[in-house]
Amino acid sequence: MQGTFAHHLSEAAVSVELETEGMTLNIGPQHPSTHGVLRLVATVDGERATNVRPVIGYMHRGYEKLSEVRTYPQIITIINRIDWVSGFANEVPFVVAAERLMGVEAPPRAQWIRLVLTEMARISSHLVFMASYPLELGAATPLFFALRERERVLDLLESVTGGRFHPNFNRLGGVKPVYAAGPVTKKAGMDIPSGFLAETRDAMTKVLATCDEIENLVAGNEVFLARTKDVGIMPADIAASYGVSGPNLRASGVGFDLRKVSDYLPYGDFDFDVPVGRNGDCWDRWWVRLEEIRQSCRIITQAIDGLPSSPLQAKVPRIIKVPAGETYVRAENPKGEMGYHLVSMGGLGPYRLKIRSASFSNLSILPWILEEALVPDFIAIMGSLDFVLGDVDR
Amino acid sequence: MTASPSESTVSEAADALEEFADRVAAAVGGRAEVAHGTVKVRVAPSAWKEALTVTSGDLGLVFLSWLSATDWTNEVAVGDEPDEPVEERYELLCAVSDLSDGNLAIISTDLDHDSPSIPSVADVYPGANWHEREAAEMFGIDFVGHPDLTKLYLPDSFEGYPLRKDFPLLSREVKPWPGKVDVEDMPENGGGPSTENPGA
Repeated sequence: MQGTFAHHLSEAAVSVELETEGMTLNIGPQHPSTHGVLRLVATVDGERATNVRPVIGYMHRGYEKLSEVRTYPQIITIINRIDWVSGFANEVPFVVAAERLMGVEAPPRAQWIRLVLTEMARISSHLVFMASYPLELGAATPLFFALRERERVLDLLESVTGGRFHPNFNRLGGVKPVYAAGPVTKKAGMDIPSGFLAETRDAMTKVLATCDEIENLVAGNEVFLARTKDVGIMPADIAASYGVSGPNLRASGVGFDLRKVSDYLPYGDFDFDVPVGRNGDCWDRWWVRLEEIRQSCRIITQAIDGLPSSPLQAKVPRIIKVPAGETYVRAENPKGEMGYHLVSMGGLGPYRLKIRSASFSNLSILPWILEEALVPDFIAIMGSLDFVLGDVDR
Repeated sequence: MTASPSESTVSEAADALEEFADRVAAAVGGRAEVAHGTVKVRVAPSAWKEALTVTSGDLGLVFLSWLSATDWTNEVAVGDEPDEPVEERYELLCAVSDLSDGNLAIISTDLDHDSPSIPSVADVYPGANWHEREAAEMFGIDFVGHPDLTKLYLPDSFEGYPLRKDFPLLSREVKPWPGKVDVEDMPENGGGPSTENPGA
């Protein structure tokens, strides 16, 4: 035993001499920032990282395989659990993909309701970011403002869909006859709940006021600025080649928004701006999201002013079989590009469903962006990417 | 405000999609297919890496959306079998897009069903690194030249390739698809009270 101890001592002496050798720092598996379970294996040289390897898969639930043994309506109930912070938005590209193969289009009113609820999901997702990101950097106050408003928006979502996080509200060819509006046997009563439009208008005013409050609290804060300005800079070309999308890409100066170029929902009827950052640092990513909340409020206010009247559901068979074919439909979700590559053989469920989730690609740039970063900046950088591990692991 | 797009704008959009598909196909030396608003360009496996080098360069499709595969087979352990026999193969798909007009093309190639192997494109699109690791562990595709083809989601000790169609889903072995029990016959076959969807 003594010999062994002496041996260890001599080895320790050797490693003291090799001072420049990097140290391996294991972070996790745990919540790095309360959004799921992630592990990082970092090689650090002093306070700087030389190599970072994210280890994911702790929340892998196998949705792509599960989808092969589910019917289309059943799949809607599982896919809103991918990115649980914006469950409603996950459903839309999937139903649109199936509708395209079926040659069915949802009636205008259903499409507008989808659009309003998608924007509400965006507001609530970005408000979670507004709450958690300053908190991760040591500022607790914005959390209370942001979560208060998020609750307001989630209440509205719940009043229509019956669910705060997992609405399961979309149907192939439209949206669900709304539960809150009376007995389902009365067709005339099946619509969004009475008072919803007025309450939404009121809530949007309050959300906008809170955006100003949050901006006043955070944007001038010296500590927040020091932690985020020029930290975690992501050039646009690197970001694109990694598949980084959504607010993270726009913060790097790319004014690309699928709502402007794609027709999965009637965004063409609305007037809104796409906020774009300049430097692609943590600060820009925070700022872009704050502006996006304001733009979403703008869209929702326009939508409720002009909600068209039509049925909520197109005529579809009772048992839905989707004709053979394949298509890829992508949508601008709060976290970035979310899409479904649907391959149907004409059955009750898909033959293959590839789920393209935004956080997966947004996280895949971590090894690049954390290289040469200071260890204390890890949380600032990772938090600013706003990923949800459920959306990474699927 | 809600006027549906006129027929002319719809056909214009379709023309633009065809034109984009032809442009990509010509540049990468493949065959274009346009269906349901999705552009797919088929290339030979030997042209795979070259094709994606061209899309990321000259064609300006700089954004890597996703890379994955479809297992085309007649022997399925889960889900429905194909109605008509299909040619057994793995279809490797890579979706790339520009960041201006929203044009997206899926580059596709067919891999041998017994020993699927293809050069890695992780050095062309760095984001393909993780997508290829996922496709490797899920479908058993070998990406030659990949810097680190280790498991991404699955534990290192995992055996088998879960997204292959012949990989059984254990819970379905114990209890057959519960969804099927609930499904009544189509109305024209005498099942179900009405063809009308409630709420229509």
